[in-house]
Amino acid sequence: MKELPARSSGRATGTALVLAALCGCQELLPVVESEDLTRPGFSIELILSFDEFAETARVYGGYGRASELAGGFVAHEFGGQSEGGGPRGPGLEAATLMRFGRYPRAAQVLDTTGTLRPDSSLTFLSGRVLARFDTIGSVREGPVEVVAHALSEPWDGVSATWEYSVDTVGHRVAWSRPGGGLVEEIASAVWDPETGDSVGIPVDSAWIAQWADTTDLGRGVRLSTTTPGVRLRVTGSVLRLDTRPSVNPDTIIVLPAGPEATTFIYAPAPSQPRKTLRVGGAPAWRTVLSIDIPRVLEGPGELCDAVGCPVEIGEDHVSFAALRLVTRAGARAFAPSDTLSIDVRSVLAPQFLPKSPLGPSRLGLGGKWLSHELFEPPAGELVEIALTSLVRDLLRGETAAGDPITNTVALLSTFEPVSLEYHTFEGAASPDAPGLRLILNFSREN
Amino acid sequence: MEGNSPAVERRPRPWRAAAALAALALPGAASAQSFMGARGLGVPVVAVGARAAALGNLGIGLGGVEVSAGDPATWAGLVLPTVSITMQPAWGEFDMNEQSGNSRATRFPLLGIGYPVPGARGAVTLSLAGHLEQRFVAVNRSTVVLNEVEVEAEDRRAVDGGTSVVRLGWAQRLGSRFAVGLSVGSYVGRLEKVFDRELDSLAVGGEVYSLLEENSWRYGGTSVIAGFNADPAGLLHVAGAVEWSGDLKEAPLGETAGESAYSIPPRFSGGATGRLSPRLHLNVSAVYQDWSAAEGFGEGVVSERKWNFGAGLEWLLVGGETRSLPVRFGYRRLAAPFRYEKEDPVESIWSLGAGLNFVKVGNKRFGWMDVALERGARTSEPLAERFWRATVSLGVARF
Repeated sequence: MKELPARSSGRATGTALVLAALCGCQELLPVVESEDLTRPGFSIELILSFDEFAETARVYGGYGRASELAGGFVAHEFGGQSEGGGPRGPGLEAATLMRFGRYPRAAQVLDTTGTLRPDSSLTFLSGRVLARFDTIGSVREGPVEVVAHALSEPWDGVSATWEYSVDTVGHRVAWSRPGGGLVEEIASAVWDPETGDSVGIPVDSAWIAQWADTTDLGRGVRLSTTTPGVRLRVTGSVLRLDTRPSVNPDTIIVLPAGPEATTFIYAPAPSQPRKTLRVGGAPAWRTVLSIDIPRVLEGPGELCDAVGCPVEIGEDHVSFAALRLVTRAGARAFAPSDTLSIDVRSVLAPQFLPKSPLGPSRLGLGGKWLSHELFEPPAGELVEIALTSLVRDLLRGETAAGDPITNTVALLSTFEPVSLEYHTFEGAASPDAPGLRLILNFSREN
Repeated sequence: MEGNSPAVERRPRPWRAAAALAALALPGAASAQSFMGARGLGVPVVAVGARAAALGNLGIGLGGVEVSAGDPATWAGLVLPTVSITMQPAWGEFDMNEQSGNSRATRFPLLGIGYPVPGARGAVTLSLAGHLEQRFVAVNRSTVVLNEVEVEAEDRRAVDGGTSVVRLGWAQRLGSRFAVGLSVGSYVGRLEKVFDRELDSLAVGGEVYSLLEENSWRYGGTSVIAGFNADPAGLLHVAGAVEWSGDLKEAPLGETAGESAYSIPPRFSGGATGRLSPRLHLNVSAVYQDWSAAEGFGEGVVSERKWNFGAGLEWLLVGGETRSLPVRFGYRRLAAPFRYEKEDPVESIWSLGAGLNFVKVGNKRFGWMDVALERGARTSEPLAERFWRATVSLGVARF
């Protein structure tokens, strides 16, 4: 037999490989719209009552401090009507406490020759407390008189409350008089929202000199209002110092002194709710639900007719799930005046409530935004909070990443605290108790 | 041979290329696109090489030595160990009612290896051949009312699977004009069905998940094929084979439920090649398989048609001492076993092709590449499918 031309076979192999590569294995499937060739799907919507999907609903308070809000409130006789529409009370009183930090030690100043020079010999003459308000989140009708008082008793910028100047674990010091102790009025000014978002209150040289002593823990300003029926949100404050530089004594420059501590105090504090659910406030409230979703359904008839009962449901069947809450007009003193967001997180160790750690947000960045109008009387608006991934995790018995999951979830502010205001919802004993909306998908054999 | 180097140093190691092609072949084996067998087990794969495809042949009765899954005796003429692989890209289109669409696939319908045993005047054979395949996506759109809102729902079902047959056999020469062969095979393959129901998230108003159900089955079963070929006269080559199969079993995998078994009817095939002139050969072949009595299928699924046949001409365009270049032309008419709805399906294919025999001594090829181009159509009202299909086969001896 002749020797085979091996090179030709090699060429053939190479050619075939090239052809295979050129043709590729990428496939395009034929797609046809046909009811006969696909299994018929079935979707049903179920509204589970509170007793059908949950065991308990509890409200816990005290998360965070007012000083963490980065701002404050001032209010006077605001929202006297009690929660549930009871008789009028004294209303909300709130004041913002500010302690300004060290004055500037040096500044760049134009001297008499017009040259910019550093000047470390500054003379502080007088000043103004400048406060900025949230024009949307503040509740008022017309101009508001804002009063600045000088504090005189040592106070803690983190823990101070209406009753206590210091309120830390194991150490409480009461104000000599609730609401800031003995104070002395500095000055007042009228803030007209029509003219801007800020108000300046003059401070004379005596207070400026006194506040220069940073070892004095009693120094500070109490910002309040005398106009009844208003609640203003303070978003920022600064002390502006009228300063005479040594390199140009004929000139007055203005230097800022930022706040070293800012908090707000208020009274009365909201009481523990008995029949309603609450989310928000400062310190914040959380509503904790213990959920028990049924894994076997015996109805309704439409479902049984379609796929047969009993129906065992798994996480794959849950297309959509949402917690349904009905809003309630709570105490007007703490009612939302602007859109606020709430979040849902798993309670990782329910046995340690109220101090259990929480899992990541179930609603993503931003949470669920709720308009304040939903909580205005007569309220009763239905709010849906999508919890599909949570319900699927609960039915799966673990998260999609394989982490353990508990059947306890917390409804809370996206950030705690985010506002003095809180959301109020109908409680478990109400006819409008929370419900769970489920949209379930099934397939049927054809 | 070229140059002075020993032949052994110049071998291109074709087995390596074959292994590479086989590696390409395995994932894509037995995959194609058609709605025709949606209610049954799919559409049949005519697992033949490019020479048979170009000639409209059904895999039996070709003259010369072939690597064929359906002609177990033809391997008997092997002189050297031989491997052959076939690649088949296809481009399809369909019309159904008022819908139309396209498809594209590449498959490897036939891989064969023969190893001659000269002392016994026979050869050991091993082949992997496509058998049935189904691969398509069906979508159904509907509207459901949820929370007093009309929500669009889309059901999507993807079917992907098929069966192949792995055969191990022996082909025996009996004298110079007669040969017999016997192969024992096993059905292999799997079927995956994925159902997906998705609701319109905009209408539902939030975080919506789709229902996803995945089911899969594994195929199994046995097959035995026996055949003969003869060259009663120098001008004629004839071959015949009969294949018996046990039940094709569909066993569920994982959490899938439901076990099924389907009977595969006996398959009788025959073919002949006649020399019309020194350069022109005529080939005919036919297959009889009666699916109408097959068990395991729903009512009205299987076709009543039983006969497949094909014919073709091969003309030796260039014929050298060891190399040749034939051109081919053929036609096949096939009866697919499963209806789309009520009409028995018919598939007709016109084909042409060419071969490049790198080394050919007498009627024995030792290295070759065949190509074929087919234009086919299959109908089963209301479904009509058309396709272009290319087939490339590579054969290498002495690996």
